[in-house]
Amino acid sequence: MGEIIRKPRKPLQVNPIKLSQPMGAALAFLGVNQCMPLMHGALGCASFTKVFLTRHFCEPIAIQTTAVTDVTAILDGGDYNIAESVKNITTKVTPQLIGLHTTGLTETKGDDIRGVASRIDVPLVYVNTPDFEGGLESGWALAVKAMIRQLTAPASQVQPRRLTLLPHVSLQPIEVEKLKEFVALFGFEAWALPDLSTSLDGYLGEKQGSLSSGGIEVADIRSLAQSQIVVSIGESMRGCAEALREKNPAMRHHHFPHLQGLAATDALVAMLLEESGLEQPPASVVRWRKRLQDALLDTHFALGQTRFLVAGEPDQLAGVCQALGEAGGRVRVAIATVESPLLEQVVAENILVGDLEDAEHLVDDYDLMICNFHGEALARRHHKGLMTRGFPNWEQIGNQLKNDLLYEGSCYFLFEAANAAEEMRRHRKD
Amino acid sequence: MAKKPKISELLDERACAHSATKKSACNTQTPGATTGGCAFEGAQIALFPFADAAHLVHGPITCLGASWETRATPTSHTGRDLTQMGFTTAVTTNDVVFGGEDKLREAIDYLMEHYAPAAIFVYATCVTALIGDDIDAVCRQAQAKYGIPMVPVHAPGFVGSKNLGSRLGGEAALASLVGTLEPETTTPFDINLIGEYNVTGDMWQYTPLLEELGIRVLATLSGDGRIPAIRSAHRAKLNVIVCAKSLISLTRKMQEQFGIPFISLSFYGKRDTSSGLLAIAEALGDTELLARTRRLIAREEAALDEKLRPYRALFQGKKAILNTGGNKSWSIASALQDLGIEVVATSVRKATEADREKAREYLGEKGILMTNPGAEQARIIDQTRADLLLAGGRSLYTAIKKRIAFIDVNQEKKKSYGGYQGLLNLAEDVKNALENPVFRIVATRAPWEK
Ligand code: SF4
Repeated sequence: MGEIIRKPRKPLQVNPIKLSQPMGAALAFLGVNQCMPLMHGALGCASFTKVFLTRHFCEPIAIQTTAVTDVTAILDGGDYNIAESVKNITTKVTPQLIGLHTTGLTETKGDDIRGVASRIDVPLVYVNTPDFEGGLESGWALAVKAMIRQLTAPASQVQPRRLTLLPHVSLQPIEVEKLKEFVALFGFEAWALPDLSTSLDGYLGEKQGSLSSGGIEVADIRSLAQSQIVVSIGESMRGCAEALREKNPAMRHHHFPHLQGLAATDALVAMLLEESGLEQPPASVVRWRKRLQDALLDTHFALGQTRFLVAGEPDQLAGVCQALGEAGGRVRVAIATVESPLLEQVVAENILVGDLEDAEHLVDDYDLMICNFHGEALARRHHKGLMTRGFPNWEQIGNQLKNDLLYEGSCYFLFEAANAAEEMRRHRKD
Repeated sequence: MAKKPKISELLDERACAHSATKKSACNTQTPGATTGGCAFEGAQIALFPFADAAHLVHGPITCLGASWETRATPTSHTGRDLTQMGFTTAVTTNDVVFGGEDKLREAIDYLMEHYAPAAIFVYATCVTALIGDDIDAVCRQAQAKYGIPMVPVHAPGFVGSKNLGSRLGGEAALASLVGTLEPETTTPFDINLIGEYNVTGDMWQYTPLLEELGIRVLATLSGDGRIPAIRSAHRAKLNVIVCAKSLISLTRKMQEQFGIPFISLSFYGKRDTSSGLLAIAEALGDTELLARTRRLIAREEAALDEKLRPYRALFQGKKAILNTGGNKSWSIASALQDLGIEVVATSVRKATEADREKAREYLGEKGILMTNPGAEQARIIDQTRADLLLAGGRSLYTAIKKRIAFIDVNQEKKKSYGGYQGLLNLAEDVKNALENPVFRIVATRAPWEK
């Protein structure tokens, strides 16, 4: 575990990687079928979010804004804008859920969204997500917790072999799907909240983009408390699992900081064996583990001589750094978007909460960057290798199908990193 | 130093095309049924291309975090391209409670120390405007301290739409920059390009032609722009507004203050490019120049026609339907027609009166102006036997179902369609779309579908 550098704070962010809480909440609501994320603020936040996610996923994105203006900002405590929004949305479409979340503007105003929500008779979940606190990861987690608190019906019994997955925000749609399939191999029926694997996975279909087109059903969120097991992935999601257990204390909770690399997947498999009572995992799991062992050996030479910078959301950092470290990749610098208790556990020599200007100052410390697409300019300027991960990636397509998880995805991840490292070295020689 | 312009004054803009018909049409926002960006985004669009200035966004992380490095507006600036950098005070709870002015002041100091910009634009956003941070005062003090322009930009998102924000951005530049520096030299043919942001290098498609004609671009707002240039923009003989109605108020004010006349034009498609060049020459009022321009246009059009000939043969008899918004509804139509493609329908949903008229003018009597393209376009494809749909991503499915070629017009542009040369880029893209078998292949039924 490295040293966490907590430098005297700069008065600004330069080339930020941090993203906002309302965006995280909006994305969480997009993992619920037929949902309309409704951002309570002035129009721009929702518009930026829509463009941001559209470009990352190459998919139409459903989102609306309560369109607070300078006039309503002063006169209204939120009632008018929210009620009008709900009315205007429901005259056009019939959402199964409206995901109301705030922004810095309406939080500063002090709007009582809870009160307003109680006067609205359309299925609605409300959540406070000011953008002057937290970040993408916490916004997503807050929305999930709000859905559990406000929608899930309490239960006292559990249904055997039902399992709920609570993935953190940085898991891409295919990774959620792989995870569902993986636990299914052990005989569990899995739900994921949120479930981007069926909404933003990029499929051809008639999607008008007026509501989310896929994701977990609202009815299934209501009955989540019947799960025998809840699995949270990422420190940010631990609280959500606790919220779910409050709905049914008979439920068992297993937490995983991440699911990248051999050790993390082994831990998941051990839990699944224990919970399922199986002696042996299914043959494909056994096979993939062997492939990952081989991949670790095949890549260790390239990765072992490579110094990395990894930047991203804390939960994502934890996984990426661990996976690299298993093959000897040295993470010299890890830059987190925001503070997290998890940073203590990130496998890196130096860990800081910062931005890409900080990355630029440490430019002699690393050869290869794993970062969102904003790292590209820096990589080009300083002849670094770059492997794009995290939000946003606007330069590449296929983000929704990038799989870094479990035995299988870890193989792909290691190969990609090793190839990127070798390519970078070839370029440097030229 | 800038005073806050009055919003009501700006909304009542005489030169705004549709303020005559609908009062404050520029600012209607229906909760739960609003699309489009906020005023801050508009200001950002209008001013960020000044690559030698730092753009400091005073607000929480949403405003800049999701929006920096989003627009491809290249610059020839040899120093570090500050347009493609993100600077934000990223205010937190503490700042919201105690005020963000100190942080802003320190951020300005930091920028001066580390990046030595030619100016700093300070953008107010919703939260910092609401808590009443006095960015005017902070800018005034910083300007006195550092002796470079510090430009407060009052376009927090909640004051209105992107268009209004662009206008406010222009106003801020006028109030704090224009007229604060004399140009080193002047020529009789100095012009300013207003509202040209050089997206994907659009501007560079025609500026070499201007140069050849002896027309000098003195300043731009703000494509490939520089701070010293915009500061001396008051010495131009003509303001040329490129495809941006939102900046008419700015040019009108420059006419009042500095006696600079303005014209409004676009450089999309052959016809618009030619008539644009001609309009500039005419406005500069020099017969020699006019003659030169005519010759240049004749030469360029002939050269273009030559290059387009193989495409025209390919596009003969091809019909296209266009479903996009704003000035694209006619500017792309015009460009397609230049390629010899018949544009049978275009969308006028949410179009202004002027855009609608233009669309009618370009499409002719037979052309269909769609008011609800989402519902209409499938039927119109059948009816007109169109070969190509140009629309936003969500219409892709319609094209697949109808088995016709598709071009995503809203996709973030990577190459320019502007000027004469841009037409070749468009021709190549259309050709590739029409020849691509993918739309047919994707539409084949799965083996399990009967
Ligand atoms: S609406 Fe306000 S808070 Fe939202 S992005 Fe625009 S300026 Fe920022």
